[in-house]
Amino acid sequence: MAAIKRVLVANRGEIAVRVIRACREMGVETVLAASEADANSLPARIADRVLCIGPAQSAGSYLNVGTIVQAALGSGSDAIHPGYGFLAERPELSQACIDNGLVFIGPSPQHIETMGDKLAARQAVAAMGIPVVPGSGLIGELSKASAMAEDVGYPILLKAAAGGGGKGMKTVHRPDELATVYREAAAEARSAFGDDRLYLESFIPNARHIEVQVLADRHGNCVHLFERDCSVQRRYQKLIEEAPAPGLSSDLRERLCQAALGIAEAIRYENAGTVEFIFDQDKGSFYFLEMNTRIQVEHPVTEMTTGFDLVQEQIRVAQGDPIGFSQSQVVPVGHAIECRINAEQPWDDFRPSPGLITRWQPPEGAGVRVDSHCYAGYTVPPYYDSLLAKLIVTGGTRMEAIARLQQALASFHVAGVYTTIPFLASLVERADFIAGKVDTGWLEKVATFGGNET
Amino acid sequence: MDLNEDDVIQIIKYLDESSFNELRLQVGDLRIVVSRSGNLAPLPEVDQASTSTDPSAAYSPPSTPLQPVDDPSSVPVQEVPEAQPHGNVPTDQGQRFNITSPMLGTFYRAPAPGEPAFVEVGAIVDEDTTVCIIEVMKLFSTIKAEKRGLITRVSVEDGELVEYGQVLFILDLDAD
Repeated sequence: MAAIKRVLVANRGEIAVRVIRACREMGVETVLAASEADANSLPARIADRVLCIGPAQSAGSYLNVGTIVQAALGSGSDAIHPGYGFLAERPELSQACIDNGLVFIGPSPQHIETMGDKLAARQAVAAMGIPVVPGSGLIGELSKASAMAEDVGYPILLKAAAGGGGKGMKTVHRPDELATVYREAAAEARSAFGDDRLYLESFIPNARHIEVQVLADRHGNCVHLFERDCSVQRRYQKLIEEAPAPGLSSDLRERLCQAALGIAEAIRYENAGTVEFIFDQDKGSFYFLEMNTRIQVEHPVTEMTTGFDLVQEQIRVAQGDPIGFSQSQVVPVGHAIECRINAEQPWDDFRPSPGLITRWQPPEGAGVRVDSHCYAGYTVPPYYDSLLAKLIVTGGTRMEAIARLQQALASFHVAGVYTTIPFLASLVERADFIAGKVDTGWLEKVATFGGNET
Repeated sequence: MDLNEDDVIQIIKYLDESSFNELRLQVGDLRIVVSRSGNLAPLPEVDQASTSTDPSAAYSPPSTPLQPVDDPSSVPVQEVPEAQPHGNVPTDQGQRFNITSPMLGTFYRAPAPGEPAFVEVGAIVDEDTTVCIIEVMKLFSTIKAEKRGLITRVSVEDGELVEYGQVLFILDLDAD
């Protein structure tokens, strides 16, 4: 296959900037598909060309498959990079690329579909002999949920079959809560995915979220780039991610990475993907959660510890090249931590805070990376997610990385909008975080002081 | 004259939060004009005798789009590259009207290749007159003039890719 010469970037914000920079380093031209609200954004300024694809509301712009493909064809692009979110995990875009002679920088529609149905993926992975969290099949209707929940044992977690990302995901602690929470979860799943099918899993209280980055090409090469720990979450949204996972034994690490590789190989996966696991700290065992068939927000921590550029690898693999390195060349060095800086008011239930940024002074220096689309004078639009920047720090050891993170957060100055910076700064000084003793429920416990403080 | 970047950002913010379209500020010999639309009316003539000609008096921060307004043709303070009047709104002249594209797609002036164009410059159109077709992935949408007037300009070539909000035709609403 011919080398990709021009990429249509079908996304916005920091990931659009990230993809454009990766393309530029490879000598690949970029066309940004931007909504009207983003027509003058930083990615629009640095792309070789910008096409306004529709109004600010993403349904008429970033989520419109036909318009995105037309923008690629009309601008002479030969490939589309979907970033994350929006159309990244919609098989329709991957399929439309095939139908129109374009390269989709991501997996095939079949791969997206297989892993997109979270329940089907869980069943497929269980059939491979990889452990999944004890749980049910499709619930079907509320009347059946009660018996299924008793079977699995409370507390349980209700989950949407159609997708992940925390949408439609709810914990049920007692039988008398089930009916109410079931209806809430179904309604949330319906509005997020247009599909209210639910299943349930046993809720693991003392759990860590650990995921493995994989990369596969069409020549049968498949490698893993070790794990990331994303246990600091609020309502299933990750806030802090790090690599390697603190305190993980080398034996467990090897088993996790091999399980992830096994899944990717079994489905003959192509491009970058992430296999997510839940690690039960009480039992010392791990379970498959889901596989995400895209580049992830937190990919930089893997880049900083392995030295490989994952977005560039995505492009190479998509154009038919073999992966540029072998498994034995993936040798993680040091420790990396990422913080998500959001335009939110952490002491007001994380209320979004769009508006004009009047001061933007990110930290700099050795071991500090900031992926962002923001600058002083930029107006954060109210239409999209609130991610302003990802602050990534590295250190020879986890302690070095934490010390650097504390410094970096202290010297990250933003005015005009509220940000999560002061909240993150308080989190990374907590003894539990420093000791690496954090589970997925930790943040909710320590963050309540803020949520109730009004 | 002390006016730093933060001050200018504040000025822009005040305008943005107000109901006004344009803000003009003169402090000493420094004048700033900020506009929402990107269409600035010419500044009134300045009495040269009262205006300093010392270039060092002009505030010009490096690598920002801000610049002192000392020229009637000067750009708005907040630079909007290739500003397009998005949406079907009358221009500042009042009698002109831009027909803009409601979607990104391929612009066709005629119903089929080789056939005459829907409209030419000089044509009188009304609300229901089809002026062009926009194609998105084999889906063809006919675009209506939406207003009664005279086509004074066809802004796009046949077969060109047009963006959402791009001006396709200019109408003179007064000519009848």
